[in-house]
Amino acid sequence: MAFVPIYILILGFTIIIDYLAGIYIEKAKDKRRRKLLLAASLIANIGILAVFKYFNFLNLNIDRFLGKFNYHDPIPYLTILLPIGLSFHTFQAMSYTIEVYRGNQKAERHFGIYSLYVMFYPQLVAGPIERPQNILPQMHTEHRFDYELMKSGLKMMLWGFFKKIVVADRLSIFVNSVYNNPELHNGTTIVIASIFFSVQIYCDFSGYTDIAIGCARTMGFDLMKNFERPYFATNIQDFWRRWHISLSTWFRDYLYIPLGGNRVSKPRQYLNVFIVFLVSGIWHGANYTYIIWGILHGLYSVVYMIIKPYLRKEPQSKAAATAIRIGNMALTGLFVTFAWIFFRANSVTDAFTLIHDLRSFGAKPFFGDGISNFAHSILAIFLLFAVEYKMEYYPEKFNFFNSPNIALRWGSVAFTIILILLLGVFNGGQFIYFQF
Amino acid sequence: MRTMSFAKFLIKPVAFLVVLILLDQLVGAGFRKIYFSQRVGQFSQTTYAIDSARQDIMIYGSSRAVRHYSPSIISKIVGLSCYDSGRDGLMIPYSTAMEEISLNRHTPKLIILDISPRELGIDQSKYEKLSILLPYCDKHPEFIKYIREISPFEPYKLLSKTYPFNSSIFILGTNALFPKTVKKDDNGYLPLEGKMTKPEVDDYSLRMNKRYLKIKKRKDIPEEKGISYFKTFLNNSAKRNIKTLVIISPTVLKNPFYLDNQTVEKELIVKLTRQYPNVTFLDYSSDPHFNFRPEKFSDVFHLNKQGSEEFSNSVALYIKATLTKKI
Repeated sequence: MAFVPIYILILGFTIIIDYLAGIYIEKAKDKRRRKLLLAASLIANIGILAVFKYFNFLNLNIDRFLGKFNYHDPIPYLTILLPIGLSFHTFQAMSYTIEVYRGNQKAERHFGIYSLYVMFYPQLVAGPIERPQNILPQMHTEHRFDYELMKSGLKMMLWGFFKKIVVADRLSIFVNSVYNNPELHNGTTIVIASIFFSVQIYCDFSGYTDIAIGCARTMGFDLMKNFERPYFATNIQDFWRRWHISLSTWFRDYLYIPLGGNRVSKPRQYLNVFIVFLVSGIWHGANYTYIIWGILHGLYSVVYMIIKPYLRKEPQSKAAATAIRIGNMALTGLFVTFAWIFFRANSVTDAFTLIHDLRSFGAKPFFGDGISNFAHSILAIFLLFAVEYKMEYYPEKFNFFNSPNIALRWGSVAFTIILILLLGVFNGGQFIYFQF
Repeated sequence: MRTMSFAKFLIKPVAFLVVLILLDQLVGAGFRKIYFSQRVGQFSQTTYAIDSARQDIMIYGSSRAVRHYSPSIISKIVGLSCYDSGRDGLMIPYSTAMEEISLNRHTPKLIILDISPRELGIDQSKYEKLSILLPYCDKHPEFIKYIREISPFEPYKLLSKTYPFNSSIFILGTNALFPKTVKKDDNGYLPLEGKMTKPEVDDYSLRMNKRYLKIKKRKDIPEEKGISYFKTFLNNSAKRNIKTLVIISPTVLKNPFYLDNQTVEKELIVKLTRQYPNVTFLDYSSDPHFNFRPEKFSDVFHLNKQGSEEFSNSVALYIKATLTKKI
């Protein structure tokens, strides 16, 4: 992942291709010609993704395979860097041509506005992956300075910074020390690090999303929601309705439904779901760790679809309903966290080392260079979930950031900034999802 | 309408900024008061080491310095006062900063630097942890060049009065709320309790060997900046002609630096210390009195009280036998 100025040309290339494809698809009367133009646009986008993201991975695997028969792959490796946010803006570009093809979106005639659609900087590098129906009409509207939107956007950005600096980057200290040295740690430490990573990746990515949505809002743009408190999900389908919503819906609209969706036989439907998660894993990166992560989520989803009709629907009492909900959340969290081991591990071998060492769960955990960082991590998680709990169950109550009482409103915003200064980790580095 | 709205946007943030600055000053002043009124614990030790320590023997280093050297044992045997200014998790840049500040104030008769070869390896955390010096930067501007290692923006962040106390809330809180639970140090020395078991050492040995198989092919590259800090440390003591002991303290495995692919760093320590006539290098990492002796270790990195007293005794006897006459 890197920013290389010359790579702007890649963006320029896809923008020109998709801009022209959109116009010609709309103009074409012949269905076959429309299909051909769409295919050309998709091939151009996927081709760029394949070259920059997957070429070396494929080449390496071909080389390894041929090596078993004492042959060597003669194709040289490419010495290129992965352009920042490539997977995001190519997916956004593809959604435009597909929607024009389907007749849901008029082709954009204004080249500048179409370029802005692909390169809108708040969400260029890590989403949300927008749909043209939502964002293009906003780009045709004049945006005047709006005090309320500015305020609301800045507050959203502040909460995003809290998630990133106070929670994600704090947790990353412990997570990195364990995941970068998997051989040295026992089961207890690995379990703690894996739970921490579950929270870290959520805060890292949703923190970025909050900053992006907030930033767009300050300029009067309304971007789609990308997260909905995923760790309050009570099953794996619910989790995917709450996690990276813009990608999940992208795959639903442009892969799952074209594959037949749920209008096919049950076994075919299971296969479709599995394919979607497999492709999602591949989308995340050219590494078997991501592929296994996708396979695991595919299996979870298929198993859940099979057992769902047999699950008891109506608990007898409120207490039983609460207990079942908490149990389901814990179970969903457990499965999701297990899959994150593969997502975070530096290699598949490392992931299996970590899983193998889970058997020593119960041994004295490692706290790094003292209990202080660990205690701050726990405090950060507590603060996060206190706010998330309120947002999930009492969305209208305790809205300190938007309280009509100015002392409470200003006090809560100022207090959050002070908390960031006191608890934040300011050298935590890059957002995880910038690499995809 | 547009103009009014924009004016409102300008006035309110300015008012909010004033509130925020006042709150920052207030919270920062509160934290400063609590921080510098600590009488026990690591913050009070650091403050003492920076502002007051004037002992004859000064010890620097990381957690292995804090946990392994008993100043009372050393003082008793050598007959000179001693202070341990090591700090958990800190490495050579911190030791160099502490040495510089303390040499500006007084000249000790002997300096001990406990070092691990990993301190000369590539590890950005050794600079990030220099944030521990932030509360002292206004009184000791000498530290500014060290905190620039964290980030070039660090001096600007000090405009906030709260920021210097970043990540100290837990320790300050526990020290203030439960002062009786905080262990009192013996001139900076804080021994660890507990004993390792043989299965634990065997398990660690197994894990290190497994790790070695994975990392042995990686090129072992020492970090230039880390080496430079080590040289600065040695130069500072050489300029004042202070006898200096550079020590690799005991390890539970025999020379684990080999398994950690840090042989080059270790050789560098040996080579560099040889260049200074005032410096003596002692390597306890292959000492059979400690290797594979779980009863002397609290964890895989640190000696326990028994082990550290035995080790302090050994260091003190060495100082007495070989260096006292020269001091």
